[in-house]
Amino acid sequence: MAEKVKKRKESTIAHSRYGCAIGAAYTVAAINGAVPISHASPGCVDKQYALIGSGYQGCGNGAGGDTPSVNFGENEVVFGGVKKLDAEIQSALKIVKGDLFVVLSGCSAGLIGDDVPSVVKKYQNQGYNIVHADVPGFKGNNLYGHEVVVKAIIDQFVGDYRGKKRKKLINVWTGVPYYNSNWRGDYIELKRILEGAGFDVNILFGPQSGGIEEWKTIPKAAFNLLVSPWVGLDIVKHLEEKYNQPYLHIPVLPVGEEATTEFLRKVVDFAGIDNTKAEKFIAKEAKEYYSFIEHFAKFFSEYWFGIPSRFATVADTTYGIAYTKFLADQIGFIPIKVIITDNPPEKYRESINDLFHHLSEGVSVDVEYIEDGYNIEQSLVNTDFGSSIPLILGTAWEGDAARAKKALLIQVSTPIENEVILNRSFIGYKGALTLIERVFTKAVGG
Amino acid sequence: MAKELRQIAIYGKGGIGKSTTTQNLTAGLVEQGKKVMIVGCDPKADSTRLLLGGLAQKTVLDTLREIGEDIDLDDILKEGYKGTRCVESGGPEPGVGCAGRGIITSIGLLERLGAYTEDLDYVFYDVLGDVVCGGFAMPIREGKAKEIYIVASGEMMALYAANNISKGIARYAKQGGVRLGGIICNSRNVDREIELVRAFAEELGTQLIHFVPRDNEVQRAEIRKKTVIEHKPDCNQADEYRELARRIEENTQFVIPKPLTQERLEEILLEYGLLDGIENDYRI
Repeated sequence: MAEKVKKRKESTIAHSRYGCAIGAAYTVAAINGAVPISHASPGCVDKQYALIGSGYQGCGNGAGGDTPSVNFGENEVVFGGVKKLDAEIQSALKIVKGDLFVVLSGCSAGLIGDDVPSVVKKYQNQGYNIVHADVPGFKGNNLYGHEVVVKAIIDQFVGDYRGKKRKKLINVWTGVPYYNSNWRGDYIELKRILEGAGFDVNILFGPQSGGIEEWKTIPKAAFNLLVSPWVGLDIVKHLEEKYNQPYLHIPVLPVGEEATTEFLRKVVDFAGIDNTKAEKFIAKEAKEYYSFIEHFAKFFSEYWFGIPSRFATVADTTYGIAYTKFLADQIGFIPIKVIITDNPPEKYRESINDLFHHLSEGVSVDVEYIEDGYNIEQSLVNTDFGSSIPLILGTAWEGDAARAKKALLIQVSTPIENEVILNRSFIGYKGALTLIERVFTKAVGG
Repeated sequence: MAKELRQIAIYGKGGIGKSTTTQNLTAGLVEQGKKVMIVGCDPKADSTRLLLGGLAQKTVLDTLREIGEDIDLDDILKEGYKGTRCVESGGPEPGVGCAGRGIITSIGLLERLGAYTEDLDYVFYDVLGDVVCGGFAMPIREGKAKEIYIVASGEMMALYAANNISKGIARYAKQGGVRLGGIICNSRNVDREIELVRAFAEELGTQLIHFVPRDNEVQRAEIRKKTVIEHKPDCNQADEYRELARRIEENTQFVIPKPLTQERLEEILLEYGLLDGIENDYRI
């Protein structure tokens, strides 16, 4: 049986928990004032929206169901789609209000070899803010697409810069908008704590970003801060080369006081700025955080019926490592299974394994990289959670396995169902408290 | 009882003479009173020129591009020599779009417009060069053309191409009913050509259905935009095409080809003196 499962893994992927490269339309949608234009078949982008935008995240003008699309059909495949793209761009520029348009070309255009850059170039030469990103699904998933889109905007819109850098200004690159379902809340918390520590922050995506004007200041930042295990490394390396801009890579999103404080000190140290403001901020945040933890400890130490101790994580790398580390290191739960679902490139896997091998002092867990939904379910069902009530941090698709194991299921990764997500976050000082709330609300029967 | 329609695809290396052979062969069949439709599956759109007397025909894809979906059969189907029905699939502008998908679109459109009438005896698909992608395999997929003839010569690359095409046929033979009817040798006056092509055909498990000799009458007729049979019905070459038509009409040998390995193909070529021989062969 085990051998059979292994064979399946190689040949098919059902219920993959990521989208395809053109899902990066939602990277565009996450930039205030930016509008994606789909140069793909009808439904391509909409289907991505249903998955990547799970948790009913909704979106602003000119995205989601309103995304301008060439709606590639047979005619376009046979004769080429550039004429229709040209017409679509003209219409989009006329009808949709946008500060920046990003043409995303999908599989069909890639297969027949449409010369999309030449069409887009025409509008660039006319002075429109428009760029092209080549994101056919056969080249990779939405995480790959995210990096391609960001680099396309930097190269074709932000452009060259040789001026001065601002010492306190940093660019933040972290979770993939929409795909990391709490992205808006996460970006808000990261901006809040970094500003609290004395930085000016280009957050670039989400409600607190200054949109494309902010993107234009990317080259002026002193450095790039990447808070992600691997997604975005291509972006910061590209920026290092393009703008001679160093980067600080912190692979784990900080959750809870200890991790967040350590995170801020690392960034301050790297920047070489005075730490007085940061330390003052840290002290204030820590005081508030621990007042909640103190109250929570009363409950935590006295209430033990139905409280989980062993847990499994099924998530993308970014959220997977962040939450697993927090629950293992700060709450004292025992991680017994980690399944990473976003298919990180081989070259990053050793460093990801290393993160999970050092969750806390003496706490380690091996990582399984599985993309196929059936195999994920089998792996979960075959997990021994011991005698305590099992806890699964996963997606909506862990529902069946959770029922089979009589487990508590907390949806933390794409896709998320039966929950509406606006500004929630499980990271930083504030988000950690929300995560504790959610886990223990489930435990007490919520 | 309704006649059985034979749908035949002609493949072969580019420039080997598929279109010339198909049209001359068609002329031989219509002379016998057969009803034939030719569907040119080549963006160059030169599969029906000899039958139409050089009349510029609008291709299916040009028509689709200019008029759109709302077209009649008359817009794309022209009658040529003795009532032969001629269609050119055509293609997108060079360097744009997908010609393979264009073939699929064209054949689909012909079906929708009712081009495959019951009085037809033959439909020939004259397909460009090689089975370069799934689109050009369209005529042999989904049970359209059930019979294939490969035009080849004694030249090495022609046989390489024929072998590759056989691989495509073998692939589709498993899921549909497509079979190889034989190799048509369009002679290039290579040494021992007939023996070589016959040996090659036998190795494939098929037959050399006819050896069409090289004759300048073909060129003379082509310049006049005519088939040899129309241009000079009494000449020897006209009889050769009539003979080819008769053999195809009477053919009963339809096989799933057994493509040769690269090594075996080279061995045969060596045996018939095409490769230079042992002194240039560096294999140990």
